[in-house]
Amino acid sequence: MSAVSRFPVANPMVIFREELDEWAVLFDPDANETFALDPTSVFIWKLLDGKHCKEDILTKLNEACNDTPEDAPQHLDEFLEELAGKSLIGVEK
Amino acid sequence: MKLERTPKSIDLNITTKCNLRCSYCSHFSSAGETDKDLPTEEWLKFFKELKECAVLDVCLSGGEALVRKDIRELIDGIIENRMRFSILSNGILIDDDTASFIKATGRCDSVQVSIDGPGPESHDISRGKGSFEKALSGLRTLIRHEIPATVRVTINKHNYKVLDEVSKLLLEDVGLPSFSTNAASHLGLCRDNADETQLNAEEYAWCVEKLFKLEKKYNGRINAQAGPLASGKHWVEMEKAKAAGLPEIPGRGLLTSCGGVYSKMAVLADGTMVPCSQLPHMNLGRINQDSLADIWLNHPELKRLRDRRDIPLKEFDFCEGCEYIPYCRGGCPALAYTLGGDENIPSPDACYRTFLEAGGKLPKLNN
Repeated sequence: MSAVSRFPVANPMVIFREELDEWAVLFDPDANETFALDPTSVFIWKLLDGKHCKEDILTKLNEACNDTPEDAPQHLDEFLEELAGKSLIGVEK
Repeated sequence: MKLERTPKSIDLNITTKCNLRCSYCSHFSSAGETDKDLPTEEWLKFFKELKECAVLDVCLSGGEALVRKDIRELIDGIIENRMRFSILSNGILIDDDTASFIKATGRCDSVQVSIDGPGPESHDISRGKGSFEKALSGLRTLIRHEIPATVRVTINKHNYKVLDEVSKLLLEDVGLPSFSTNAASHLGLCRDNADETQLNAEEYAWCVEKLFKLEKKYNGRINAQAGPLASGKHWVEMEKAKAAGLPEIPGRGLLTSCGGVYSKMAVLADGTMVPCSQLPHMNLGRINQDSLADIWLNHPELKRLRDRRDIPLKEFDFCEGCEYIPYCRGGCPALAYTLGGDENIPSPDACYRTFLEAGGKLPKLNN
């Protein structure tokens, strides 16, 4: 079962560094590790505030994009799992 | 080059004071030698702005960063604002207590100690009596506390003949993974002491050959971004390209040497923002008064420095008739300024033709 919270929230200790080309980097200063985000991932990251559930995020993605792929929910799950695995977002206790 | 939204790293000259007066110091007698140090609260306020700008790391230097009595408070402020840090130091003040504190932060990328020779004779003559033993003790203390320690050897007239011995000390006896070299350059105090400190072409050539051999002997554990090893490698690359008949090396033939202004900035001890610690005359604004992000994206002097990458070397009288233009990058903007009065011109310091005309030559290479 997924460890990702129903309302995922970004780790407040992580630095979110947006670049001019709409990509971004997440930086964990304690682990000294970086994680690159493409523009879609940046869009999702900004919704990881503990107030949006996965369904909310998918709805907003659909609103923002014209051609969201059918397997977007699966991609979102995988992305959130990856973030959780790197302690970049909160997980369900 | 890609411009970042805000600088990724900032060099902070947190003090203008130093407990040494090295004869080739780039700080003293430069515009970076300010008349005051900012108080603690000014730096702490600025660190909050760095966090808002998502700056990832800062490099603390001076003067000598560790002479500040509030150094721990400043480092705590850096940690609190989610950054990592490194320190450039002469090593004198590094004791167990200081090293324990640095280690406990978990955020220190490196502490660089300046060591110029294998013993006091070649080190203290430039840096002051008793400084070698204290610097080496500071280095060993860092290593004992498992802090990533690095060493910079500044090659000058007094130590260039002991590169074998200093390499042995650092790589074999102390056991560093690597160390870096540069050379006493025409900045700060070195301008007043050039004859006693700076290498001439013959000595420079001797160092290039020696460092090539040492780099090979120690499997690449000696590195450099400036000075004889860096220049030598660059010049060899140019010779090879010319010998192979290449019309150019991509990205060369322009003033492309330095990309620092695309990812970094610096702040002087009095809070003046500058493009680089070695360009302290270029006042871009003041911390806590001017917006770092705004200066970064919009200051005309920064734009001018970034635009130097588009300036062809063939436009300069200095480069007229030079057969190495298609392979050359033009050298450091700070040295271009101190030697020629403008950042956006080629630096004579890194000029291969000037080196050859002064009697310098590269070692014979097998490949």
